Amino acid sequence: MQNIWKILRITILASTFLTFTILVLFPTIFLASFPLIYIDDIRYEVFENPLIGSENLRLIIEVLTFSFKLSASTVLVDILLGIPLAFILARGNFPGKLLLETLVTLPLVMPTSGFGFASLLTWTTVSGVGKWFGLSRGILSITSNLPFIDVPIIIFIVHVSLTLPYIVRTVQAKLVEVDIVYEDASRTLGATSLTTFRKILMPELLPAIFSGSVLAFARSLGETGATIIVAGVRLTAAVAVVKWEFEFKLGAAAFLGLILVLITWLIILPAELFLTSAKGGIVKPPSLISGTIVERALIKLEAKFSKRIFKNILHGVCVALLLVLVIVPIVVVVESVFSYMFKDPYTGKTEGSVIYQLFGPANYLPIMLRSTAVSFASAFTSTYISVFLSIPLVYIIDRYRVGRILRALLKVPLVIPSSALGLSVLLFWGPKFLGLLTPSIWLIILTQIVFSVPVIVETTMAVYEGSNIKLYEDAAKTLGANPYHVVEKISLPILKEGIITGAILSFTHSLGETGAAMIVMGADIPISVLVVNMVESLAIPAALFTSAYLIIISTIMIVVFRIVSGRRRI
Amino acid sequence: MPEVKLVDVTKRFGDVHALRGVSLTVKDGEYVCILGPSGCGKSTLLRIIAGLLQPDSGSIYIDGRDVTYKPPEERQVGFVFQNIALFPHMDSWSNVTYGPVVKCMDRDTAYKAVRELMVILNIAKYSGLYPYELSGGIAQMIAIVRALATGAKLLLLDEPLGALDPRVRVNLKYELRRMVKDLNLTAIHVTHNQEEALTVADRIVVMRSGIVEGFDTPENLYWRPKNLFIADFIGKVNIMRGVISRVIGEKVLISLTNGQLVELHAEGFSEGDSVVLAIRPENFEFSSDDVMQDISLTGVVARVRFMGEYYRYDVRTEAGETIIVNYPVGGDVKKLGEKVRIWFNPETVLIYPYPEKGIEKELMVEI
Repeated sequence: MQNIWKILRITILASTFLTFTILVLFPTIFLASFPLIYIDDIRYEVFENPLIGSENLRLIIEVLTFSFKLSASTVLVDILLGIPLAFILARGNFPGKLLLETLVTLPLVMPTSGFGFASLLTWTTVSGVGKWFGLSRGILSITSNLPFIDVPIIIFIVHVSLTLPYIVRTVQAKLVEVDIVYEDASRTLGATSLTTFRKILMPELLPAIFSGSVLAFARSLGETGATIIVAGVRLTAAVAVVKWEFEFKLGAAAFLGLILVLITWLIILPAELFLTSAKGGIVKPPSLISGTIVERALIKLEAKFSKRIFKNILHGVCVALLLVLVIVPIVVVVESVFSYMFKDPYTGKTEGSVIYQLFGPANYLPIMLRSTAVSFASAFTSTYISVFLSIPLVYIIDRYRVGRILRALLKVPLVIPSSALGLSVLLFWGPKFLGLLTPSIWLIILTQIVFSVPVIVETTMAVYEGSNIKLYEDAAKTLGANPYHVVEKISLPILKEGIITGAILSFTHSLGETGAAMIVMGADIPISVLVVNMVESLAIPAALFTSAYLIIISTIMIVVFRIVSGRRRI
Repeated sequence: MPEVKLVDVTKRFGDVHALRGVSLTVKDGEYVCILGPSGCGKSTLLRIIAGLLQPDSGSIYIDGRDVTYKPPEERQVGFVFQNIALFPHMDSWSNVTYGPVVKCMDRDTAYKAVRELMVILNIAKYSGLYPYELSGGIAQMIAIVRALATGAKLLLLDEPLGALDPRVRVNLKYELRRMVKDLNLTAIHVTHNQEEALTVADRIVVMRSGIVEGFDTPENLYWRPKNLFIADFIGKVNIMRGVISRVIGEKVLISLTNGQLVELHAEGFSEGDSVVLAIRPENFEFSSDDVMQDISLTGVVARVRFMGEYYRYDVRTEAGETIIVNYPVGGDVKKLGEKVRIWFNPETVLIYPYPEKGIEKELMVEI
């Protein structure tokens, strides 16, 4: 009997490991091998093209510089806006807190292309905020740039909205953990609230701010779905990967993708090392100015701004900005769907109406329904497979030494730009290497598995580590349960919450993902990409309807999520 | 010099009334303990004095100055926390000098005072260590120095000994009191440990469910508690019911439930009143002969516990009541099941009118 269980266990673990290697690991790291195999393609396209010379290299450097400026400034604003918001959510106690928390999380589950279109409409067209102020155009032009860094404001706004949750959630989680008694102690010792924040909370929050920033940076660097809609003629690196792949400049696309992956890794790895070394211990930042004249001046300044009124103003501004960035686009899209329902409100033509585009000669309705089917079928299938792959993986990660390496590798698909990931998957399965699959729904599913497994593993691990599960398993064993019963009656019910959370997250992520899907979809267009296509073919009423439809679906998803996970934070 | 005055302070957390109109005055230089069961509002009261919480209504005066709406940093108080709360990312010295630094005090004077205090308390050698390297007792001493480093004359202590082990607790308890007296401080010390309160306080505030039940010296609270709750809460009492059967001048004749008659000094009662007698376990004696026949009870030893300096006996009387008797080690030890006769000196009996809500309700720590 003992032997059968052992053989069974080894079989399950070995097959899991094998499947994981083929489905997740190889496709993830395959991009790295590309320059070695196709060194000639890259040289031809990027460095020594007979017609344009190294023009592509110049372009690569240009888009990378642009992406960096964009992501760095995005993270900076995220930090400024995110810390007060995290504070409100962690320390505040007010009606509507749950709503605010949901609002912060919304951009994480919303299909980015839909949100991108909503923002574009809201800020740069007459249908948006401009109309409310009686203007005959949008309050922004698509080419209005931020001063000094030359980044279009609209791209910047969208990136801030989409990456803000990463900072807010990590800092909020840390703040909840920090005992408020240190702040109390500091206040009774005569420090004002701002001084307390700088001297007591900052050292505790630094790792969280840091890791949140790294995530936000990586996300901004890789964002494709919304960016491609609002970017106009400007190219970010992640969007360039998609565009060049469409133009069959595979060498240049792969080269840029690889650089993006390497850069992401260069940022993530030191961050991971720093955080794991600081874990459990205490970060002791050097107090360079402590007790000096500079600090005295600073303390006086902090005392001036510690008044309740300033705090209220700061909090009010941050909440208002969040509302403006997230809620207004949603309102505008939904409102526009109604005003475009039967005719174009500006020209009066019925050809420009939602109804006409859906049911008229353009016949967008069947296309939309098919895309919906593609999206849901692929998201469901990939989530389903990923769940079954993730549960034994959690076990492997915990029990075997190789697990730590696995866990680190699993971070890769989470942070690398999705278009680069899509490219990697395509190169691995597609005609260039294995030749097993051409772009289609099957490749979409395989791509989604690559980023779904890490999500489910992470959420399940979080529950696993906090649950003392081994103790209960041992207790069950002493009570005479066989290994199957232990797993069925003890382990799985305890891990249930983590597994469900992960499954919902990976489902919404799969549903909304755009960058990778554009590369691997072939003729099976998922709904998130359909919005992009509609915008590019200027079918605005159809795009409006689809965006509103996507936003409503994701709102329903988040409500379902809230109900399933109770008050647990995602 | 700090005198703390609270006027009709109330505080609610949702449906929970943490404080229901608390008024009291702590005199300058006094060491006051706030004693009460968990959840009675004692910590809330302390935090309101420190400014860490805002009262819903009422006023707080420190030194005659209305500080009700002042933030904690402007109140000049030293606060010591139960879980010590030394800043984990700073060493002891940075912790104790934190106050002077953030208040921009004159460095030389403040540092000198802090160093002197650390030398007096014999903890100067721990200056360079981080909180996680210190034992609980030392860490709490550092936290106390930190609280006093800004020159605060009002020391607020929230269960300061709660997280320490018993032996350290005893030493630090007396150390605290001595320091408060030597440095001429006013101290308000919150605790749920009545022994701690009785041994260090000049006066004790007894709280229950957000109400001040009594505010008096430890001796008065113990020997002359003004109500049955305090009598039972501070120390233990045996409770017997009776009815006043006759009033003779300053004396009353009480008939107990078992029919026995007891004559006591008491005022303000009239014939027919239901009363409650409270007698401390140490006020019972065993007797072998028939002396004082009129106030003795007979019973059987139902339980014997050895408490160190004394034995605690549960004596089940013929009427079915259980009387707890503390009897010093040294006399002959009673055995389980032994028939005994116990008596008490009428002078030590506390007498109260029978509570309207019943005895059980009266003694409940939460209302």
